[in-house]
Amino acid sequence: MLAESYTAVIARGEDWVDGSTTEPYEASWAREAIIMVRTLEAGTLGAGAKAHVQISLDGMRWVDEGTSLAIPTEVDGVSMARLGHFGHYLRLRAELPDSMTGFMLATLSLKA
Amino acid sequence: MISTSQAGQRPDINLSRFDPLPRIMFYDDFSQGMSGWTELLGNYTGSLRTMHPGYKQFTPPMLSNLTQWDGGTHGALTGSYALKLASRPGRGSQTVSLKRMTFPRACTMQLECFFTYKPEATQLELSDSDVRSWGVVFDVQDSKHRVLPQVRYLNALDGKLQNKWQYKEQSVDFDNVGDRTVTIYHYGEENWKDIPGGHQLICYNEIPTKVNWHYFRLGFDIRTLRYTELQCNDLVLDLSGLGTLKFDAMPNLQNLFNVIPFVDSDSDRRAFLYFDSILLSGDW
Repeated sequence: MLAESYTAVIARGEDWVDGSTTEPYEASWAREAIIMVRTLEAGTLGAGAKAHVQISLDGMRWVDEGTSLAIPTEVDGVSMARLGHFGHYLRLRAELPDSMTGFMLATLSLKA
Repeated sequence: MISTSQAGQRPDINLSRFDPLPRIMFYDDFSQGMSGWTELLGNYTGSLRTMHPGYKQFTPPMLSNLTQWDGGTHGALTGSYALKLASRPGRGSQTVSLKRMTFPRACTMQLECFFTYKPEATQLELSDSDVRSWGVVFDVQDSKHRVLPQVRYLNALDGKLQNKWQYKEQSVDFDNVGDRTVTIYHYGEENWKDIPGGHQLICYNEIPTKVNWHYFRLGFDIRTLRYTELQCNDLVLDLSGLGTLKFDAMPNLQNLFNVIPFVDSDSDRRAFLYFDSILLSGDW
């Protein structure tokens, strides 16, 4: 049988501000993931805009996984991160200093 | 009573808990993967900002092994994984998933599943009124009409337990989103009506992290555009006299048949709907 794979759009046109998080996504079946972040509207995005990967056992209590992505400051800019051994739940937390905002797309591509 | 899945043979280990019509369109055991279930996407043109806010809140389905913070992995009824729909937090928040098909011939189609629903266990409380409702919509179009039969189990509303089955035969008007595209958000709180005889207590158990699975069945006759029956565990309801949302046939939707489950929250916590397995059968 082919390895299961699934892409979930975890932010579909959302206005991120500092501290914005994506909804918890369960992925305990997956061994690996690629997270992509694409800027749909650049808003006031600038240097220092990041998205941090977080993991959780229960979807309620989160710890930083250690991976961070730069949030692209130009429209249609894309950044990505490869993940493995992440356990159960995944999400992104935005760090947007200086009251930055951006209209964002984020996808989680999982593979067993 | 012998189900059609048992007649004349040793019970099929996967299907004998179902009572399917002669042809099985699909049987999805989510221990084998997502099986074609996806997030319901609202219509839009130009920018995702034009999507109706009712649709914009929807989230992608996922595969869950029902791991709880206090009890560890609960697992599904069969195998480890279930399909999970999770609303965002907030009273009235909702999510909707679906599988898209067309019907090969007008006939009775019957959905069966083993399901459960639970709130997010953020509170060390019973939380039995945290989930507002879960339900199923069929989206069907024949040569003349598009119909949207939809039923739900209303668990609680405004913090009060309701424990009853409802249906909807009227909704709101279509909104134009441009480029010959319209949208109708018919999943809202408006115009739900009680199904006669539809009061039912469904086992919730004693804390949010204990999960029990339940059987559900819903039939719809595409020839007459009428429901047949609804069954949930030992409650069977004749729905043949009930109406549905009904519109003139729309472009590009010939023979449409979509199966669309949904769940919504009645508290500031997320509402979860799980399916151990889903089977669609027909008598074509």
